[in-house]
Amino acid sequence: MNTRTITATPRSAAGLPLGALAAGLGFGCVALVPLLVDDPFLIHSLIMVLFFAYMASSWNFLCGYVGQLSLGHAMFSGVGGYVSVLMFTQLGLSPWIGMLFGGLLAAGLSVLIGYPTFRLKGPYFTLTTIAFAEIVRIWVENTNDFIGVPLKGAEGLVVPAAGDSLWAFQFSSKTPYFYIILAMLALVMLATRLMERSKLGYCLKAVRGDRDAAEALGINPTPSTLAALAISAFMTALGGSFYAQFFRYINPERNMGLELSIDMAVMTIIGGQGTVAGPLLGALILTPISEMARSHLGGGLPGLHLVVYGLVLMACVLYFPKGAIAPLGRLAKRLTDRRGSRP
Amino acid sequence: MTTTILDVQGISKRFGGVQAVKDLSFSVGKGEILGLLGPNGAGKTTAFNMIAGYLRPDTGKVLFEGKDIAGKRPWDVCKAGIARTFQLSKPFGDLNVIENLMVGGFCRTGDRARIRERAEWMADFLGMGRQREAEANNLTAFDRRKLELGRALCTEPRLLLMDEVVAGATPSEAGEMVELVRRIRDMGISVLIVEHVMKVIMSLSDRVVVLDYGELIADGEPQRVVAEPRVLKAYFGERYVQSRA
Amino acid sequence: MDPLILSFAVVNGVLLGGIYGGVALGLSLIFGVLRVVNFAHGSFLMLSLYIAFWCWSLLGLDPYLSVFVTVPAMFGLGYFVQSVIISPLIRRERALVVEPLSALLLTAGVFLVLDNLALMAFGPNVRAVQVDYYLPSPMLGPIPLNPQRLIGALAAVLVALGLSWWLRHSHMGRAIRATAQNRDAAALSGINVPFVYAVTFGIGCAVLGLFGSLIAPFMPISPSIGVAFGIKSFIVVVLGGLGSIPGCIVGGMVIGVFEAVASQHITATSAAIGSLGLFILILLVRPQGIMGRA
Ligand SMILES: Nc1ncnc2c1ncn2[C@@H]1O[C@H](COP(=O)(O)OP(=O)(O)OP(=O)(O)O)[C@@H](O)[C@H]1O
Ligand SMILES: [Mg+2]
Repeated sequence: MNTRTITATPRSAAGLPLGALAAGLGFGCVALVPLLVDDPFLIHSLIMVLFFAYMASSWNFLCGYVGQLSLGHAMFSGVGGYVSVLMFTQLGLSPWIGMLFGGLLAAGLSVLIGYPTFRLKGPYFTLTTIAFAEIVRIWVENTNDFIGVPLKGAEGLVVPAAGDSLWAFQFSSKTPYFYIILAMLALVMLATRLMERSKLGYCLKAVRGDRDAAEALGINPTPSTLAALAISAFMTALGGSFYAQFFRYINPERNMGLELSIDMAVMTIIGGQGTVAGPLLGALILTPISEMARSHLGGGLPGLHLVVYGLVLMACVLYFPKGAIAPLGRLAKRLTDRRGSRP
Repeated sequence: MTTTILDVQGISKRFGGVQAVKDLSFSVGKGEILGLLGPNGAGKTTAFNMIAGYLRPDTGKVLFEGKDIAGKRPWDVCKAGIARTFQLSKPFGDLNVIENLMVGGFCRTGDRARIRERAEWMADFLGMGRQREAEANNLTAFDRRKLELGRALCTEPRLLLMDEVVAGATPSEAGEMVELVRRIRDMGISVLIVEHVMKVIMSLSDRVVVLDYGELIADGEPQRVVAEPRVLKAYFGERYVQSRA
Repeated sequence: MDPLILSFAVVNGVLLGGIYGGVALGLSLIFGVLRVVNFAHGSFLMLSLYIAFWCWSLLGLDPYLSVFVTVPAMFGLGYFVQSVIISPLIRRERALVVEPLSALLLTAGVFLVLDNLALMAFGPNVRAVQVDYYLPSPMLGPIPLNPQRLIGALAAVLVALGLSWWLRHSHMGRAIRATAQNRDAAALSGINVPFVYAVTFGIGCAVLGLFGSLIAPFMPISPSIGVAFGIKSFIVVVLGGLGSIPGCIVGGMVIGVFEAVASQHITATSAAIGSLGLFILILLVRPQGIMGRA
């Protein structure tokens, strides 16, 4: 038997890896949806799924591969949202540019925080990330004016309407937002895929497996983890800016609160940490549950969706520690193996 | 006359009240297999950790190919050309065999295709060709040891430090490991090996050094050293030596 | 600053801090023995506060008497959570390979369920117990002591002492300490490890039940109070040293005094940020805490 056919990446007739083909097809089909259906509620729900898939993927870029659980990522989302909105309202800068500044600021902040923090292990690391994010949130919530910049505290910021304008990142229809977040998700998943196969990916996975052993193989854990952290924070911040533009409103509670961090982490964990598609799968499973609980049952029962989150999370940790993607992956592997061994 | 590749000069390490290693000096020649012996707690692993950069020696120098590497961090020691295995093996459990081996390869180059090719070759070299896709978590203890050895070799070292490679292995597995180490030496890699199993040490080592309570008590050919009274005393106690005298 | 006001603040801080320490005891005990960071810690306190409240409002039971309800109820709940939810995880892990993150995630799940069930059942409104009798305030020199806080702080010290004594001298206590040191060796010496774990978790929660009843008379009760106390407990426990029982009380008092004195000078916001900053600093500089062993 030829073992090579199994080890090599399964390839399609055109020579493209099957995974890339499937991903391209999937994204292509989703991109057709707004052309086929004209239902604002459906488009809105899809945008939420894509948004959470994007946020979870950004979280996964670091945490899934380095094996540390950050519950402070909402802080980066907050930085992104506040910077792009404030640059728009105060300086008249396009949010497209503002979001890059927000991303860079978040990346810088993440490195400052990450450098001392990454020495901590397991729960200690997690608690520290919560504390950092809470400090930022409490500070923003109680600061109306910081050296002349109107943060407006707990009240939050409203993005002033500027009509249908690409420059102002504002659209009267939801469809443009849909394509923007779809493209952002595609980019972050592509980045994750490239990282996974690169030296950086192997370094992170080695550090996750065993730090001492990784060091023995010539890996200095600090620069690798910090690089991944900075990229992850940058992408999370872009997501925060998108959120601000989509809802035209942000406040500390929603845009940088613990709940958002939990959302990102739980979706990734349920879908499958350290995989390209896991966060998307997690968002596909959880976002509809939470949207449904919010819109249909949520009127009288706030918190229902979080109860469901909690139950799904517990079930996942106990029965699918590698996430929902693991059984699916096994299925796919069995299928491609059968193809591969056919003469 | 062989040239030395590693020259350890008077290294010491103290943990609180325990002097784990005391003024230890020895050298490893190029292409040599040097056995490091000593009873439990003699300080072998501590000496290893000082050479490999996991512990900073309190005193002394570690010259590798003439350059002092004492106090350098583990990844720099690895890049300098020293690879190691751990007494308790530490594979990356959720990666498969090939991926584990590839991690080692990234130490020298970023060329993924070349690294993969070398990893495939290494899997065959270890006799693990059939398990290349197996997750390290699902391997037997001995296969994990071999994997760790292969991973270390993928960093293309000139000196290999091995800590108790056949602990808990069956006699046939031990034989396989001895064969592997010989072939590694034949590739031109010098080996410093810690081992408790006498049969392995005797058949492998060109020379042995013996540690007891952190101090060097013997250095020489295996057959001669194990007959030395000081060594026997360290292993079996005073009474044993007297009864044989 | 007026020395009288300062000493008043310090005394009050010690009392409140003692209560913080008492509330955090269970978190520390559970971590010390099971190596599980119980994310749902605050939720258990929130539940006991609600039990005390409903006992008072529906049955007319005095909050101090409701300990006879809250303590057994919380012990039972803790025992249940450990033996049904967390125990399968610990069984799955192979010897010595502890995965503290999975345990943290599990208890985070418990936290999400409990807090939001409470929100659904009781709504977000704040409730308060009102007792119709008056406890006299004992005086410490010129400083009047709040009687309810005094009771809470004394209870915290007594529980800490009692728990330490019990762990040291009882058969069960010895079994718990042995399991904490090495669970496999304990199992080999005939200790029923799952039972020890469940009892430990139960005791940790029972302590919360006790404090739920003791602080109910002066604490406004809402579903989100659990998070507030949970975060505070983490700070206290990290400060005192995770797993150390005396460290818990000391850490609580340090935080209590810090808050009380700081609130004289700076806003509550800065005080909250300050204690979180202290928490981070301790973790980075001295992760074993002030009383913990290295
Ligand atoms: N990190 C440490 N802290 C304190 N003491 C240590 C530490 N590491 C090792 N020791 C002590 O140093 C001494 C030497 O230990 P070492 O592990 O080097 O022995 P060894 O020769 O490798 O033994 P073995 O054959 O059992 O592996 C022992 O007494 C050990 O208890
Ligand atoms: Mg050793």
